[in-house]
Amino acid sequence: MIHVEDLYKSYGDIEVLKGINAHIKPQEVVVVIGPSGSGKSTFLRCLNGLEKATKGKIDIVGMELTNPKTNIPQLRQHVGMCFQQFNLFEHLTVLGNITIGPIQVLKKSKEESESLARELLKKVGLPDKEHAYPHQLSGGQQQRVAIARSLAMKPKVMLFDEPTSALDPEMVGEVLNVMGALAHEGMTMVIVTHEMGFAREVGDRILFMDGGYLVEEGTPAEIFNNPQEKRTQDFLAKVL
Amino acid sequence: MDVVLENMPMILEGLKYTIYYSIASIVLAIIIGLIAAIMKLSQSSFLKGIASIYVEIFRSTPLLVQLFFIVFGLAGVLPLNEWFGQRSYPIIAATLTLALHQGAYISEIIRAGILSVNKGQREASESIGMTEFQTMRFIILPQAFKRMIPPLVNQSAQAIKDTSLLAPIGIIDLVYRGQIIISTTFEPFAIWITIGIIYFILIFSISQFAGYLERKMRLDTR
Repeated sequence: MIHVEDLYKSYGDIEVLKGINAHIKPQEVVVVIGPSGSGKSTFLRCLNGLEKATKGKIDIVGMELTNPKTNIPQLRQHVGMCFQQFNLFEHLTVLGNITIGPIQVLKKSKEESESLARELLKKVGLPDKEHAYPHQLSGGQQQRVAIARSLAMKPKVMLFDEPTSALDPEMVGEVLNVMGALAHEGMTMVIVTHEMGFAREVGDRILFMDGGYLVEEGTPAEIFNNPQEKRTQDFLAKVL
Repeated sequence: MDVVLENMPMILEGLKYTIYYSIASIVLAIIIGLIAAIMKLSQSSFLKGIASIYVEIFRSTPLLVQLFFIVFGLAGVLPLNEWFGQRSYPIIAATLTLALHQGAYISEIIRAGILSVNKGQREASESIGMTEFQTMRFIILPQAFKRMIPPLVNQSAQAIKDTSLLAPIGIIDLVYRGQIIISTTFEPFAIWITIGIIYFILIFSISQFAGYLERKMRLDTR
């Protein structure tokens, strides 16, 4: 589903990603962990082209992202993304947020899009919020709407960039539950998070990044119980 | 007082032109300003350069000079009067000059409005597959316009005042009508105070409206 080969990313003189190789299979849930500044968010943002790779090759949902001829907006229809700050469209209601993609991008009818949106709102546990504006919702509710907004495009892959880092502790659970259910349904997911419990429970595979390198990868059991690399051991000693 | 009432039809006819030039120049200026703002925000340094040159030229020279140059100066070297008609060219050229002048200021208002929209809005929009155009049209501009309304209304008040510079180049408006009435009645005090009051009512009500919008929007954005 996703193939990353020798991915480099620099901002000016600062090299943030230093040759990442990763392969993610359909229906796999991959959790990326690592200290801040390790490049994990940049790596995720490269996967849908929000950051442009400096060097290397990315294939995702059967399209070659790093080929300049690729139609990036079309590629992104198949790659959902959720952000740390939710980024709901502030001028639109919950229903408007979820339907704008299907209506404008997929050219579906308003009725069809709205019934899909209501279905998704039920799924994320917010069936009564369709007329609310983002600022009227809590952080956890906003993030769940953001997930519904991505799902409305029927993506093949979902990317999550620290989806619970901006939330009050009591709201983390409701968002993780929705993500867990999504993983259970077989969605291919790449998740950058600091929630180690969630990573262990839901992840099929853990990638540990540090200093722009993919230091170690393995199943949750391998990484959390028996890390091989010193840097992984040091990081886990601090966060667990 | 009599002299004012007697000449009221002529004054109102002048007001009609002032309102026409105000509305036409503001509407065109918003379109021109939007295009210039988007050019300035584009990746292309060519488009950026063109827009910057336009904005700087029109902001750094007096409107009266711009009017004289475009209405008479250009018509002196190009057969514009023949192409557009002896009577139409000055009207078209004056409307366009006013629009270009206001557009230079409005482009900065629009640019600031677009930049005030959080970067995350653009990223979220692009990540559901919207093109750059769709992102601008459905996500960025609706949010930016809301914030641009108060400064745009202020600029519109300025635009109305600026139409009074049409009189020196011989185009009929409120001021021009006033001058003509005075040349036959010799009552400058009564006529100028009447014209002043008309401008005041127009512009004061617009700036009050801008103040109202500003207060309302402060309440809306919690």
